[in-house]
Amino acid sequence: MADVALGETPPSIPRRNLPSASRSDRRFKWLLVAPAALLILAISIYPLIFSIWVLFVNYDFQIPGHAFVGLKNFEQVVSDPVARYSLLVTVVLTVSNVLIELLLGLAVAMVMARSFRGRGLIISILIVPLFISPVVVGQAWALLLQRPFGPTNYLLGQLLGQEVTIGWLTQFPYNFIALVLADVWQWTPFMFVILLAGLTAIPPHVYEAAELDGVGAWQTFWHITIPYISPMILLAVTFRLLDAIRLFDTIFIMTGGGPGTQTYTASFYLYTIGFAQFHLSRATAGSWIFLILTLLVIIFLVRRLLKPEAN
Amino acid sequence: MAAWTRRRRIPVSRIVVLTLFLIFVLAPLYWVFVTSIKPSDDYLAVPPVWFPDHPTMVHFTAALFDYRGLQGLVNSLIISISATALSCLVGTLMAYSLARFNTGGQHLSFWVLSQRFLPPIAIILPLFLNYRLIGLQDTHIGMILAYTVFTLPVGVWMMYAYFRQMPRSLEEAALVDGCTRWGAMWSVGIPLAAPGIVAAAVFIFIACWTEFFFALVLTSRNAFTLPTVFRSFLSFQGAQYGEASALAIVSLVPSIILGVLVQKHLVRGLTLGAIRG
Repeated sequence: MADVALGETPPSIPRRNLPSASRSDRRFKWLLVAPAALLILAISIYPLIFSIWVLFVNYDFQIPGHAFVGLKNFEQVVSDPVARYSLLVTVVLTVSNVLIELLLGLAVAMVMARSFRGRGLIISILIVPLFISPVVVGQAWALLLQRPFGPTNYLLGQLLGQEVTIGWLTQFPYNFIALVLADVWQWTPFMFVILLAGLTAIPPHVYEAAELDGVGAWQTFWHITIPYISPMILLAVTFRLLDAIRLFDTIFIMTGGGPGTQTYTASFYLYTIGFAQFHLSRATAGSWIFLILTLLVIIFLVRRLLKPEAN
Repeated sequence: MAAWTRRRRIPVSRIVVLTLFLIFVLAPLYWVFVTSIKPSDDYLAVPPVWFPDHPTMVHFTAALFDYRGLQGLVNSLIISISATALSCLVGTLMAYSLARFNTGGQHLSFWVLSQRFLPPIAIILPLFLNYRLIGLQDTHIGMILAYTVFTLPVGVWMMYAYFRQMPRSLEEAALVDGCTRWGAMWSVGIPLAAPGIVAAAVFIFIACWTEFFFALVLTSRNAFTLPTVFRSFLSFQGAQYGEASALAIVSLVPSIILGVLVQKHLVRGLTLGAIRG
């Protein structure tokens, strides 16, 4: 059985009278939670709170003392055309990556839904990209595409019957295609695995009934398959979207943000101003803007995900 | 869908889709593998050398010893294993409490989940500044702590889902027999959840093993991990194809083997327990 259970309240099993006192129970349950909660507070929450102070000063390793600068850090980010451009690149790349991964993942899941000989082996092969570091994925695609070493231009040349000299990592729009290829290669299996779990959970009698009624294949797909797996689609797309907007690793390895700032994503932009130019306060201000934008997306998506009528 | 149509033969269109997709998945892996054993003279041959006549291991030794791949490998092992152990330990305790006592209601569990979706760039700057202040920058401890926290949502939510589908009755029987809460958890609850803990541990290990961004910012000469070694191949244009490929093989083989081993838990792992595959 595959069913979406995120946000479902635990089944209320009537508790029998337990011998242990309820007060020690209460201490016990918080004691178990404490180490993990303290770690999150120390490594994730405290730095975030600390950074609120960094936002309004000029934090610089070279200059002793941190002068209060008010909203200047925000102004510098908001007025930077590269910042706005990188946000646009993030949105465009995120939407195209997730959309292609969804459609391709669904197609492959449909093909794999019926059992046949060798299906288990093929599934094991298809999920391999999920276990590889994005840096390695970027490196692998760079090797495949890079001029003059990669075989891609040669194969395209053979196919088209003329010499092909595309600079896949340096030339617009091929650099974007290369980045999408690497992302689609790595994350289509994510969609595939989740949607396959959804497809195989559809009870066969539903299809049998449709067949008896003479419903066509497309009709069956739109009116039976899609509604059945829509909770899985929503969940898979939510998880992917929230990871896709962080896109950084493949950019770092494949294009380095270039040429110029052409393939800057929001994460890459913030990394560059923070850790290459050491404008720490400005980068922090940018991070907060990005965090708040992300939170808006999270609230919008996770709310829908948690709606009980999603199925 | 298995019983949907009774036809035994798979339509040709399906075979075509599947074959093309398999080629797409395998091509980069094959090319990386071939490049890692290819003599440097074969790099720029036209047409490309699809399989070298004289396979060589020189790129592996060069990547490990000349480019400090070995130190990255050792650091990655130390950091990933320690972070996995720590994350599993505190994550399981928290998950047990959430599942059995509904501690903190939905707020606490969703607070943990929300950590999974925080963009790393938002945390990394302040974390970097704090690590510098307290001397954790470029240390193994610093990386282990960072990776523990960054994998906690996966561990907690996978184990939370696992404990919730486990019957309470055995632990309650142990309590009736005079066990303490602590004893019932350690000697009954957690041993019964061992398969779930192992699966969670593997996913956490893979997450640490493949992570790049935190390592890039928080380490430099001392605690750098395997993925960050790939930076060495960026500055020199061209000559290090073999070394980069060899290092890629070193990095991807362990995590692929582990991942395929826990394949049946994959859907739970990817969706943090939200979908039971």
